[in-house]
Amino acid sequence: MSEQVEKAFQKQVGIFQNPKASKKVKAKNLRWYKDVGLGFKTPKEAIEGHYIDKKCPWTGEVSIRGRILTGVVVSVKMKRTIIVRREYLHYVTKYNRYEKRHKNLAAHLSPAFVGVSPGDIVTVGQCRPLSKTVRFNVLKVQKRIQKGPKQFAKF
Amino acid sequence: MGISRDSRHKRSHTGAKRAQYRKKRKFELGRQAGNTKLGPKRIHEVRVRGGNRKFRALRLDSGNFSWGSESITKKTRIIAVVYNASNNELVRTNTLVKGAIIQIDATPFRQWFEAHYAQPLGRRKKKEGQAESEELSKKRSKHVQRKIDSRKEDAKVDPLLDDQFTTGRLYAIIRSRPGQIGRADGYILEGKELEFYVRKIKSKK
Repeated sequence: MSEQVEKAFQKQVGIFQNPKASKKVKAKNLRWYKDVGLGFKTPKEAIEGHYIDKKCPWTGEVSIRGRILTGVVVSVKMKRTIIVRREYLHYVTKYNRYEKRHKNLAAHLSPAFVGVSPGDIVTVGQCRPLSKTVRFNVLKVQKRIQKGPKQFAKF
Repeated sequence: MGISRDSRHKRSHTGAKRAQYRKKRKFELGRQAGNTKLGPKRIHEVRVRGGNRKFRALRLDSGNFSWGSESITKKTRIIAVVYNASNNELVRTNTLVKGAIIQIDATPFRQWFEAHYAQPLGRRKKKEGQAESEELSKKRSKHVQRKIDSRKEDAKVDPLLDDQFTTGRLYAIIRSRPGQIGRADGYILEGKELEFYVRKIKSKK
């Protein structure tokens, strides 16, 4: 199993993996997962995959509650977390006009989502603080639609 | 001293340096680490927020360890700390922390096994003429003998574990927090986890 890359043994806490050989329980992939609620589908990769991520909303120990926001993915360079950009318009009363503003959000990206690239639209849900700046967890990814003639995209 | 757990002294998400606008508060306090070592039991009690208590174990020598696949738990002596994923210094100084891999005394588990299954566990190849242990050869009532016969097929033990029983020391992992609750409890490593840690320990040596 290539998911044991850390110095400590990675496993889901709470599921016992060593029943005796004589016992009849023969689940090949003893995995625990949950439904996050609010109508979000749990990805197949979360149920069938082998990754261990305690901060994943489906196979980890975080719950989604509070705000649900959407934004555009800006960078995927961090380990298991991404930066999401949320744009909004701010009204300036003096000129009766709007100005563009944006805020960047750090969100945890579960290994259940494969192939997320900058430009994708992403739905994130609030959870407890996972690190200094991460308080959100990615729940749904929509690929960016290529408008107009197809540009070269890396495979 | 003055260990505090606030985030007001850290830079913000954008990188801006935050100005200090208030002093440290008591609810943000942190305390010195316990660094529980091996030795005769020494536990200090700490009064914490809300009037509750924490038991800071400074020295421990035994803990309650469970054998998962047999579903039993026995109180055993802790012998040594063997591996720590975070810090090798903690191994060298035999510091007990949650997640540390340790060696524990195997005798309570062996005694239970031999009483429960009436089969030898971790015995070296006997020479001719050496008597079997009292546990194995004692006379049992018919009722008890029937129970033992029905358990016969469950009495298989993983070879890796069996080797550990011959040396009298089992690998276990601490799952409680000795500096918070004053105890070092955990479970015996088995299966994939055991292989993983045995490999790590070997590659260290």
